[in-house]
Amino acid sequence: MLRLLLPFLLLAAAIAATVLSDRPQPPADFTFINRGDVTTLDLQKMSWMQDLRVARCLFEGLVRHDIFSPDYDLKPAVAERWNVSPDGLTYTFHLRPDAKWSNGHPVTAHDFVYSWRRALLPDTASDYTALFQKIAGAKEFFDWRSARLADFRPDPGDESRPLHDTAAWRLWLETERRFADTVALAAPDERTLTFTLALPFPPILELCSFAVFYPVYPPLVRQYERPDRRSGRLDIQFGWTKPPLIVSNGPFQLVTWRFRRDMRLERNPHYWNPAAIAIDSIAIPSIEDPNAAVLAFRSGAADWLSDVTAPYRADILADKLRFYAEHQPDYDALRAQGLDPVEIDRRLPPDPRAHVHAFPAFGTYFYNFNCLPRLQDGRPNPFADPRVRRAFAMTMDKERIVSQVRRVGERVASTLIPPGSLAGYRSPRGLPFDPPAARELLARAGFPGGKGFITVELLFNKDAGHDLIAQSVAKDWETHLGVSVQLVTRELAVFKDDLKNQNFMISRAAWFGDYGDPTTFLDLNRRDDGNNDRKYADDDFEALMNAADREPDADARSELLSRAEEIIVERDLPLIPIFHYVQMCMFDPHKLTGISSHPRQEQNMYEIDLFGDGKGRDEPKFIGGSTE
Amino acid sequence: MLTIIARRLAQLPIILAVIYSLTLLLAWKIPGNPLENPEGRKPPPAVVEAMKRQYNLDSFPSFYLSYLNNATGLKWLGDRLSGRAAESRRLAEAAGQAPPTRYIFDLGPSLKNPDWRVNQIIADSLPVSMTLGLAAILIALVVGLGAGVVGAIRPNSFADLATLVVALVGISLPSFVIGTALVLIFPVWLGVGSIGGWGRLGNLVLPAITLSLPFAAYIARLTRMGMVEHLKADFIRTARAKGLPESKILLKHALKNAFLPVLSYLGPALALAMTGSFVVERVFFVPGMGQHFVNAVLNKDLFLIMGVVLIFATMLILFNLAVDVLYRWVDPRID
Repeated sequence: MLRLLLPFLLLAAAIAATVLSDRPQPPADFTFINRGDVTTLDLQKMSWMQDLRVARCLFEGLVRHDIFSPDYDLKPAVAERWNVSPDGLTYTFHLRPDAKWSNGHPVTAHDFVYSWRRALLPDTASDYTALFQKIAGAKEFFDWRSARLADFRPDPGDESRPLHDTAAWRLWLETERRFADTVALAAPDERTLTFTLALPFPPILELCSFAVFYPVYPPLVRQYERPDRRSGRLDIQFGWTKPPLIVSNGPFQLVTWRFRRDMRLERNPHYWNPAAIAIDSIAIPSIEDPNAAVLAFRSGAADWLSDVTAPYRADILADKLRFYAEHQPDYDALRAQGLDPVEIDRRLPPDPRAHVHAFPAFGTYFYNFNCLPRLQDGRPNPFADPRVRRAFAMTMDKERIVSQVRRVGERVASTLIPPGSLAGYRSPRGLPFDPPAARELLARAGFPGGKGFITVELLFNKDAGHDLIAQSVAKDWETHLGVSVQLVTRELAVFKDDLKNQNFMISRAAWFGDYGDPTTFLDLNRRDDGNNDRKYADDDFEALMNAADREPDADARSELLSRAEEIIVERDLPLIPIFHYVQMCMFDPHKLTGISSHPRQEQNMYEIDLFGDGKGRDEPKFIGGSTE
Repeated sequence: MLTIIARRLAQLPIILAVIYSLTLLLAWKIPGNPLENPEGRKPPPAVVEAMKRQYNLDSFPSFYLSYLNNATGLKWLGDRLSGRAAESRRLAEAAGQAPPTRYIFDLGPSLKNPDWRVNQIIADSLPVSMTLGLAAILIALVVGLGAGVVGAIRPNSFADLATLVVALVGISLPSFVIGTALVLIFPVWLGVGSIGGWGRLGNLVLPAITLSLPFAAYIARLTRMGMVEHLKADFIRTARAKGLPESKILLKHALKNAFLPVLSYLGPALALAMTGSFVVERVFFVPGMGQHFVNAVLNKDLFLIMGVVLIFATMLILFNLAVDVLYRWVDPRID
C-alpha cells in the first residue's frame, strides 16, 4: 500500500515546497495592467508603447509634457531652462543641479551625450536612430560607422590578444574620436548640454520628452558594452536593465522584474521633485489575455487597465452610455460646462459601469494601396493610377464601419493625422463618400462599371476584427464600383513579410504618432522611408516636405505640411484613412486621478494620485482644471 | 535495472539531437523577422543586417553549429579548459566591467526580449509550470482513481454513468471553456478565490483544477477498465473465498493491479502537465512556460523556441524513464 501512496506524498511535498519558496509581494499603492509585457528597458532600443510607458516612470528626460494642458505644453524636467538660437538650429539646455540618479550621483550633461551616442551607433540598432540624425553630422557619423563595420577585418591573432590590443578596440577608439569631432552634440560642462541641427526641426524640443532621448547611467551601462573582436561591433550585453543593477533618474526605481510575471516600482529616494509624486509604489502584473485583464480589473486586482481590447468592449461602452442616460439631466448640465470627460464621470454618482473610458487617440486606421506600376506577380497594377485609388476611397462607407463594426465611438477619418491633436495645425478636408463621382473616376481610368478590373485582393492579418472591416469594405466596393473583391487573410508574421515585399494590392494598416508634429505621420509617405510599404513616390509631396524641412518659421512650416497632407488625402490617396482610434481604458474616477483624456494619450503613472490615501493633494487633475 | 537506466540515458543525447535538428529546420522556415517590431518604425536595413550577423541568423549552418556548441556546454567547457573564461573575467575586472555571465548550457538570448537570456526565462517559468502541473496531476489521480473505482464496483449504475459523463466532459470540453467558466463562477459571481496571478496557494486551485480535468478523465477510464477486468479475475475470487474484507480486496488486490496502466500513463502526463499549458496560463495569467511555446513561434524567437522544445523533450524522456523504473518497483513481475 505504501508503494501506492508514495507517489502521492511525493507530489504533495513537491508542491508545498515550491509554493512555500515563492513569497508574493506586498500590495502596491497603485496597480495597473500594461498593454503588454515590457520587452526591454534599454532606453535607446525601445519602441513599444508599454516599454516607453514604464521608462517614463523610471527615467526622466530634459523636458516633459504637461499632459493636462490642452496644448500639451512642455515643462522643465532634468533641464531647468533652455534656449534656442534665432536660426532655430542650436539648442542649449541647462540642467538642474539637484537632478540625481537613484544611487545619489548627479545627472550630468555627459550622461545625455553618452546615451544619445548609443542611439546613433548602428551597433545599438535603435529603431529611432533617424530622429537623432537630425543633429548636424549625426547621419554622416552613422554612415561612417556602418561602413567601417561592414569592411571590418580583425588582425591575425586578435582572438587571443587582450581586448585593448585588437583592431576592434582601435576602431572603437577611432569611433569615439569621430563622434566627438563630427557630431554637433556636446557637454561644455557638467550642467550644460548643447546640440546643433542640420536643418530646423521644431519638434526636436518635444522629442527630448520622448523616452528614447532619456539618459542611461553611463558608469553602469559602459560595463556591459565592449567591442567584439571578430566583428568590431559594440557588443551590448544583457543584464543591466534588471534589478538590483539598474540605475535610473526618474520618479521611480525598479525593484522587481520577473519575466512575464510582474514588475514593481518604488519611489526613487533621490528624485529631485518628491512633492510631485503621490504614490510610493507601483505594481505591474503581467496579464496578456484581454478578457482576463477586464476580469482582473473588475475584481479589484488592478486600479487601471491601460488598454481594453476584449472582443466585447463595445458592450462595456454601451453600458456606460446607459449609465449616462439614467443621469441625463446631470450629464447634459456637466457637458454644457465644457468639462473634461473624466471630470464629468467623477461628478456623476459612482457606478461600475462608468469605469470604462474611451479617449480619442493619436492614431489612425487606414488601408494601403500598392502604388508600384506592376504587381508582384508581374501583372500591371491598376492601383498605380491615383484616379482608381480615389475612386476606391470615395466608395468606402466609413460611417458604417465606425457605427456598426467597431462600435466604440471612433471618429471617421478623412485625414491621416487626427484633427485637433496638434495645436496650430490645419487639417485638410479629405475626400467625401461619393459613389457617383467615384464611378466616374473609375470610368475615366478605363474601367467603366468596373469592367475589365482585376479581382481586387484585400490583405489583412486575422487578428483583432480586421476581417469584419474588410468584409464591410469589400461589400461597398462590389456594390458601388462593380469590381470583385477577394479577402486574403494571413498570420501576422506572413502579413508583415507580404507588406515588406509589396506582395499585396490593398492591405490594412495603422499608425500611431510618436511625437507632436505632423511629420510623425507624413514621413510614412516619403519615398525612402522604411515604413513606406506602399512604395508611394511623388515629387510634389517630396518638394513640400523638403521645403518644410528648411522652413524656420513655425506657421509657414505647418502650412507646408498641411499642403503635403492634402496631396496624400485628397489627390493621390496612397492610403485611405478609415477611422481615428480611440483608446479604451478602465479606472474609477472616484478612486484616483492622473489619467489624461488628451488625444496624445501618453499616460504617466507618476501623475497618479489616489483619493483619500493620505498621500498627495487629492485634487482631481483634468484638462481645463487647475494646473501646476 | 541499472543497465536499463544507463542505456536509456545514453540514448538521450541522440534523441535530443534528432529533435533539435528537426525543430530548428522547421523553426528556421517560419516566416517573419524576429528582429522587427511589427508595431513600430522599421530599423534601417544596415541595422537589421548587423543584428542578423550578431545572432548568426544570416546562415543556417553557422546558427546550427553555434547553438549546438553553446547549448551542449561544449563552449563552456572549452572556455574553461583553455583558460579563456578566467582570462576574460580578469580583463573585465581590470577594465571595471561586469564579468560576462556564463551558463554551462547557454540557450542564447531571446530575440524578442533582448533583456533576457532564454536560461533566465526558463528558470523563472519552469518552476511555476512544474508546481501547477504537479498539483494538476495530484488532483487528477485522486479524482480519476476515485471515479474509476466507484464506476467499477457497480458497472452501469448511476454512479458509473455519472463518472462517465464527467469524464467525457473533462476530455471533450476545451480548457479555455472550463477555465473561463470557473473564473466566472467562483471569483466573479461568488467572490470566492482569486482570479489569477501567482504566488499564493489560492492562485493554484482553479488553474490546477482546469488543467487536471482531461488527465482525471483519462485516468478514470483507465482505472475503471482495469478494475472491471481484474475484479473478474481468479485471484479476486480466491481473495473473496478467503473471507477478506471487500475494501481490502478492492484496494489491495484489484486497484494495485489496475493502477499499472495509470502509472505508465503518468510519465507523458507529468511531462505534458509540468511544461505548462498555454491556454490555462493565459486564462489565469499564470507566469508559466506554456505561453512561450506559442508566443515564441508567433514571434519567431528562434532561441526561445529551441530552448522550450529541448527542455520539454528532455523532461518527456526523463519522466518516461522514471515511470519505467517505478513500474518495475511496483510490479516485480516485470524485469
